[in-house]
Amino acid sequence: MKVVIRTDKLSKYYGKGGEIKAVDELDLEVYEGETFGLLGPNGAGKTTTVRLLNCIIKPTRGTATVNGFDILKEETEAKRVTGLLAESPGLYEKLSAREFLEFMASLYDVPKDILAERIDDLLKLFGLHERRDYLLEGYSRGMKQKILIASALIHDPPILFLDEPTSMLDPRAALMVKDLIKKLADTAGKTIFICSHILPIVEELCDRIGIINQGRLIALGTIDEIIAQTNTKTLEEAFIAITGGVEEKELLAWRELKGADA
Amino acid sequence: MPTPKWLVVARNEYRITTSRIRSIRPYFPILIFGLLAVYVAFIAPAVVSLFIDEFLAFIITLAAVPMVQILLFMIFVYFIILPVTQTLKEIETGQLEIFLAAPIKPSDVLLGEFLGHMPLYAIAIAVITGLFTAILTPLGLDIVQMAIIITIFVVTLLSAYWIGTVIAAILRTRLGKTARGKDIGRALALIIALPMVAIMYAIMGGGLPEALVDPGTSGMVKAILGLLPSSWGAEIFVGFASNPGNIGAVGFETLTRFGGLIAFFVAVLWLGAKAADRAYSLETISFVASKVKPDGAFYKTIRYFGGRGSFGTLLVSTFKDYSRRLENLSKIFYMMGLLAVINIFLIEPSDPEGALMMTQFILPILSVFVVGEVTLRGKEALFIFKKTPRGVGRLVKARLLHGWLVVVPIAAAVTAVSGILSPQTTLTSLLTTTGFAVLFVAANVAFVLGLALLNPAFSEKSGNYFLNLMIAMQALPFGLFLLPMIAFRRIFDLGLYEVLFYVTLPSSWLLGILFLYLGKRRLNKIE
Repeated sequence: MKVVIRTDKLSKYYGKGGEIKAVDELDLEVYEGETFGLLGPNGAGKTTTVRLLNCIIKPTRGTATVNGFDILKEETEAKRVTGLLAESPGLYEKLSAREFLEFMASLYDVPKDILAERIDDLLKLFGLHERRDYLLEGYSRGMKQKILIASALIHDPPILFLDEPTSMLDPRAALMVKDLIKKLADTAGKTIFICSHILPIVEELCDRIGIINQGRLIALGTIDEIIAQTNTKTLEEAFIAITGGVEEKELLAWRELKGADA
Repeated sequence: MPTPKWLVVARNEYRITTSRIRSIRPYFPILIFGLLAVYVAFIAPAVVSLFIDEFLAFIITLAAVPMVQILLFMIFVYFIILPVTQTLKEIETGQLEIFLAAPIKPSDVLLGEFLGHMPLYAIAIAVITGLFTAILTPLGLDIVQMAIIITIFVVTLLSAYWIGTVIAAILRTRLGKTARGKDIGRALALIIALPMVAIMYAIMGGGLPEALVDPGTSGMVKAILGLLPSSWGAEIFVGFASNPGNIGAVGFETLTRFGGLIAFFVAVLWLGAKAADRAYSLETISFVASKVKPDGAFYKTIRYFGGRGSFGTLLVSTFKDYSRRLENLSKIFYMMGLLAVINIFLIEPSDPEGALMMTQFILPILSVFVVGEVTLRGKEALFIFKKTPRGVGRLVKARLLHGWLVVVPIAAAVTAVSGILSPQTTLTSLLTTTGFAVLFVAANVAFVLGLALLNPAFSEKSGNYFLNLMIAMQALPFGLFLLPMIAFRRIFDLGLYEVLFYVTLPSSWLLGILFLYLGKRRLNKIE
């Protein structure tokens, strides 16, 4: 299978002497047509990894290739072949949905002759065609999320990075996005890189997953392989076993009176 | 062939800037061109005709060059400050991720942002240039001189606007990644305008034009400002005005200054494009998070004022949340600075009444800045209080006490210092004036707090916030201070202090208590 994302000791350090290791020597391969999930607790390094692979920030050490393009030497080409749904991106609230998608398409040089039709199609897909000329400031969070997913798809890239794609969506919209991701992977042959906290979505969509904690990749494989490695029964249990959690006895410890014998 | 990326960004910025007038957007340029043509052809010459005789007498004095230098310097700095202030007010880095993930060069983003906002700045440039050329037209300048003057203004102001755009982009990147940075940005947005305000007041009432007639002062100002590119055009402007139709008389000066200005413009464009990589980045600069220390004597004293119990804690929390925002402190600093500038340049030391009146115009604005922000953090922040037992009453009480503890000492200090600086002040008049200021401003705080709750604004951009500010700025000084002063002193022949203590104070307290009651009732009903 063709490798479309390959990281080689990819690292991003911050602070004096690089004491904060946001991503530490990440070695990873993602295959063409695969849906890959990157899991990890808050601050584990998921978003930094996505930003590195999208050439938004530069690695301290190591490098990576995206669709064969080096993220350090062929930045523009690498950006052209990816679509990104960022974790907390800024929308232009004073633009309408149509205007925003036009703008995003222009940034990625989508040909003018197919632009209008593609925008219409995407807006219809996400059920926002009727509201295409309303300013985004009046959209709900879920509707904004749909527009952002549409903007990541607007140039039809072979690789998609989706950071928490369903976190703000209602169940119906979340189901639609899940089906869309499946279709993109299965039918359109897209490679999809998902970061999510919502384990059922990862379980349902991803062919393989990686678990990252404190910048280091600590588990990699199919879901069944990771469950087997940790001697657990579910992905949730495996995740807790790998990354650590709160002991049951600690849950109500705050109610106990300090110094009391009881 | 794909559209150039800078054009994509510029078109997008233009769409955002003109979003409010989207219905007339297609006709907007034609409308503006028409209005500007009317302005240049008729309005500017008509305005200039009002003072052309004074100008002709002024242009041959020693003060001419430094005065035009100062004016151009001020306009130059304003053109730098404007984009910076706009950016600092609401630093937003979310959109940066869109650009950085897309195949676009940072210099294209910078140029696009510059050109996207250009139409609005071009209007300002046209208005300023139109006024200055209208001043020169009656003197009989030839076409080449006029073309050079127009080019000078356009190039000078475009250079300033470009510098401002680059600085704004760099500051956005440096400050926008942390809450602390954003707070510093909002604080800076207000403070950076203060030196310009001081120069403006110095020109208006500080005797600066008169001082420039002195050769020593004039020479010094010329020498200092002459180093700045904004001044190079001023020398040509005065040179042409003194030698209309005779460009050869100031040929060398024109060549060096004009050439220097063009070279400066090219240089700042090049440097800005080089700085673009730094201006657009999401690289984290600092991981240092703000950490608080245990409460010191100040907060212990505040807690004491609140009665040490749970209300004391609530009052201290209110104080901390307010004073840890640099934006709030900058507003206080700005108002204090404004008061100082007004007292230095506009008020005669022998006019203690003038100082007192000016104070009464400034302090209501300070009250809005301090207690008027009670609702600015949004409804959710108010709902925290609404959810708790007796929460609404406690919020009002805490904010009132907080307002008094901040504003009253400032009012007392400012009034006392103004009084002490006046040679005619006696101890009795000093105490009476300070006492009045303290009681008046305390009533102002109650009124403004009530008003802010009665007409809540959930963001600084809200029209309600602006309306509250206007009411406080107009109703309090005019309605409770100036009008009674004029009416009662003329009709009933009352003295200044009699009007203040018998009319202004009781009515301001009555109004304060009434608005506070109504505001509290409204807060109970906010949904």
